[in-house]
Amino acid sequence: MDLTFHGRNQKTEPQVWVVTSGKGGVGKTFVSTSFALTLSKLGHSVLLVDLDLSGANIHTSLGLKPSHLNIRHYFEGQKALHEITIPTPHPRVSYIQGYWDTWAPADLSPVNTTHLFQDLKSLKYDYIIIDSGLGASEKYLEIFKAADEKIFVTSTEPTSIEKTYRFIENYICYSLKEKTSAESYAGLLKTLRNHRQGLLDQPFSFKSYLKESEGFTLEPFLNLSKQPIRLVVNSVRSHNFATLGYSIKSVCYKYYDLNIDSIGCLDYDNAVWQSINNREHVLLSQPFTPLAGQFLGMCKHLIDPEELRAVV
Amino acid sequence: MNTETASPRYNYYEILEVSTNAAQHEVTTAYERARSTYSGENPAIYTIFSEREARELLLLIEEAYSVLGNKTLRNIYDQRLLGHAAQNQDLSYQSILQASRQVFTEAKAEAKRPAFQKDADFEKQIATQSTWTGDFLKKVREYKNITVDQMSQKTKINSYYILAIEEMNPSHLPAIVFVRGYVVQIAKELQLPEKAVADSYMAHYKQVTKS
Repeated sequence: MDLTFHGRNQKTEPQVWVVTSGKGGVGKTFVSTSFALTLSKLGHSVLLVDLDLSGANIHTSLGLKPSHLNIRHYFEGQKALHEITIPTPHPRVSYIQGYWDTWAPADLSPVNTTHLFQDLKSLKYDYIIIDSGLGASEKYLEIFKAADEKIFVTSTEPTSIEKTYRFIENYICYSLKEKTSAESYAGLLKTLRNHRQGLLDQPFSFKSYLKESEGFTLEPFLNLSKQPIRLVVNSVRSHNFATLGYSIKSVCYKYYDLNIDSIGCLDYDNAVWQSINNREHVLLSQPFTPLAGQFLGMCKHLIDPEELRAVV
Repeated sequence: MNTETASPRYNYYEILEVSTNAAQHEVTTAYERARSTYSGENPAIYTIFSEREARELLLLIEEAYSVLGNKTLRNIYDQRLLGHAAQNQDLSYQSILQASRQVFTEAKAEAKRPAFQKDADFEKQIATQSTWTGDFLKKVREYKNITVDQMSQKTKINSYYILAIEEMNPSHLPAIVFVRGYVVQIAKELQLPEKAVADSYMAHYKQVTKS
């Protein structure tokens, strides 16, 4: 089979995938770099963008030295994106270095984000993968919302799962905020707070609340399910957690009326930390790790879900 | 989440999160996943559902699977949920269960219906009959609409012997003790008083063998 030809090449506009998480240390950067390497193996050209304002480390994950040519130049208006793109030793993979030599990170206001996405979309790549910062702060939510594919990484620990739900709640509210007046939005937040404290006599459902309350329409909420969050469960150490992704999906459906897509879980593999200690990426130092197959499955699912459909 | 009256708000397919045309094995997989999500210490429900809420959800899940996991109940449910007269159909668990019982009692009644035409005169003759010969056994068997083959299948007696008993033909039959056993079997199958029948028949049979 010819892996190098996959149709997307004729399209001029790149697909932007954003990878984020609720909690730090769950493997955001690992997942974004692995997606980039897997997509490049499938014959696509990929640009990795390090947008983690709390400190860049994509270069370390790929085994490269940090560059002084970084995204600071773009946000300060000195250079265009294509001028700060750095090629890597891996075929078809380039990257944009994140902040590491400034102590006053740029303001990623919504306007800035819109510009950034416009500029990214004009580049000639098949896929652009943004390694975003963690947590539900407004700047990251805006990037997440603008993405073509929204990839969310969680580990199996309760701390991480708890933050997953907090992120999803924030994401729903943030998406509804701009579609309504400040008053109606405050009303929604108040109802949600009462719901959390168990003060409502009626069961809360986003669907029925948005239908019945003034100032809201149902459509923006339904659109969230049409472009679902893609959930990746990382560092699964026991088979008990193999179905955690489905469980979280089910909880989101029952509690928020929200459809998310559980695209897979990644086994815990000691090879990962061993490789990073040697400043190597595990998919390159140990290309036959089970993780490689798991990433391949996820990428194929995101590129073309029809192709993977099982025939039973 | 209101779970008491959830049936109208969520149908069973929504509870198990499968599509209405899901294959039976997909329903089972979905049920197993749902059960593991809402029972025990699954971290996925942490900070979202309280223990009580999870238990209530679990009850609903069990109820949904007891209908969708059973082909007959699922058929009835599908007809009510998706059929042409989908409005105002009773989708409650009790009503589905009741409907399925109706299906099955009808089927049983059909099986029990007698397969022959009753004849009062002949019934009376059977009741008062004291001399039992092969001829009369044949008459009763034919009256009750049982063929020799069917009789052979029920009693496990070779059809060749059954015919010989009805003809009272000793040259086709084994020793006398076996014959008595066969007659008892046939009489039982024809719902006759087997002792009286066998005694009377054997008395006649001995006369035949002597002559």
